[in-house]
Amino acid sequence: MRDFSIGQFLIAATRPLRMFFVVLVVASGLAGVSAPAVAASPAEQFISDNVQRGLTILTNTALSKDQRRTQFQGFLLGLTDIKAISEYTLGQYRRGATPAQLSAYDDAFKDYALAVYQSYFNKFSGQTLNVTGSYPLASDESVVKTVMIDPKKTSANPLQVDFRVANVGGRMAVVDFSVSGVWLRETEKSDFTSFLGQNGGDIGVLTASLKKKTALYK
Amino acid sequence: MRNFWKAAAILAALGLSACATAHPDTGGSAANDPYAATNRKIFDFDLKMDGWTLKPTSAAYNRYVPEGIREAAHNVLTNFDLPVTFANDVLQAEPRRAGQTVSRFVVNSTLGVAGLFDVASDFGIPAHTEDFGQTLAVWGVGEGPYLVLPLLGPYPPRDAVGAVVDFLFDPMLYIRMKQHPWWVLGHRYIKLIDVRARNIETLDDIERSSMDYYATTRSLYRQYRAGEIGNGETAPPAP
Repeated sequence: MRDFSIGQFLIAATRPLRMFFVVLVVASGLAGVSAPAVAASPAEQFISDNVQRGLTILTNTALSKDQRRTQFQGFLLGLTDIKAISEYTLGQYRRGATPAQLSAYDDAFKDYALAVYQSYFNKFSGQTLNVTGSYPLASDESVVKTVMIDPKKTSANPLQVDFRVANVGGRMAVVDFSVSGVWLRETEKSDFTSFLGQNGGDIGVLTASLKKKTALYK
Repeated sequence: MRNFWKAAAILAALGLSACATAHPDTGGSAANDPYAATNRKIFDFDLKMDGWTLKPTSAAYNRYVPEGIREAAHNVLTNFDLPVTFANDVLQAEPRRAGQTVSRFVVNSTLGVAGLFDVASDFGIPAHTEDFGQTLAVWGVGEGPYLVLPLLGPYPPRDAVGAVVDFLFDPMLYIRMKQHPWWVLGHRYIKLIDVRARNIETLDDIERSSMDYYATTRSLYRQYRAGEIGNGETAPPAP
């Protein structure tokens, strides 16, 4: 009688089942061919170079908490066009504001945005950003698609974070970003314009509220 | 059951006729919130109820239940939803995504020990969710006016009808033991705790940064739904 080990028997007996799983995996489109490498667009390179730098600042234990905050704010101011975001979030209420009101609002918004955006980016610290592509929105704007990979959690669906990059006065800047399809600038505009609608369109009230909210982050 | 169908039909007629033509959900479009005053009151009520019941229960769940058990529970609940996702993948004519859903269900139900472990993700099979509200959107049905329902939160008419259909046609409901009311209620309650527990910090952050939390959640809901409907390929709203 031929020598036939239990292991060989199990391997043979489970072959149909193993083949079934292989077919399932292939059918789900995962055994795809890798696309040939394509050079990154300028916007993709901008995001790839800069965002990871920001995430690194947040995890730099050689800096004190205040130093990290200061450095990260400098990074955010270089990465984004806070003034453009500020103008956008007022919506139709910008037209009726005086220059003094707008100036006070822009200052308050800048402090608020830096505090809030830092708290959002803090959630990604320790993660790695991978640029996955981009598409144009206009001649001077594009969306760069990225995913955040958390080394502690392997997942088939890493978090999708997209950046809207615009050419502002000759330099590239982020004017919005989204997490899982939710765009921050858009959400802020809905929030602020609704608040202004509830408060008679008074930008001074919004400015005061922004200052109170910013204080919550200190 | 007959009254249930009648209520669903009335809801469908009211909601779907409010938006006879399909439009893309951009989140940045006009508010389409004609019942805002009522919605706000219901929203405030829902927040209070959440603060008294769901949030403290979810916080305790996070504090006292080990992460491994919470993840296992989440995996099982997610696995139970896959038949509904599959049905809607088919209705939306998405064979590749339907294949992924079947693969995930089979792999996680077997190698993942009845869904306790998300082995399918380790195999690189992507996860996604579909529901009948998304299917209606793909078929061209408009969202309808924004609605906030007591204890349920945002449920514009299209999504409300979708939720009813998903509930009634969930095959899990028709397995003999799972027809028992305690199973149905228990399943829904644990699912609620699971979702709330995973989002406590996020919602706290959003509330902390909002000037008008109601408007913020309305925008978040619409944008998130637009992303789900577009399968993650939705462009940013036009300025």
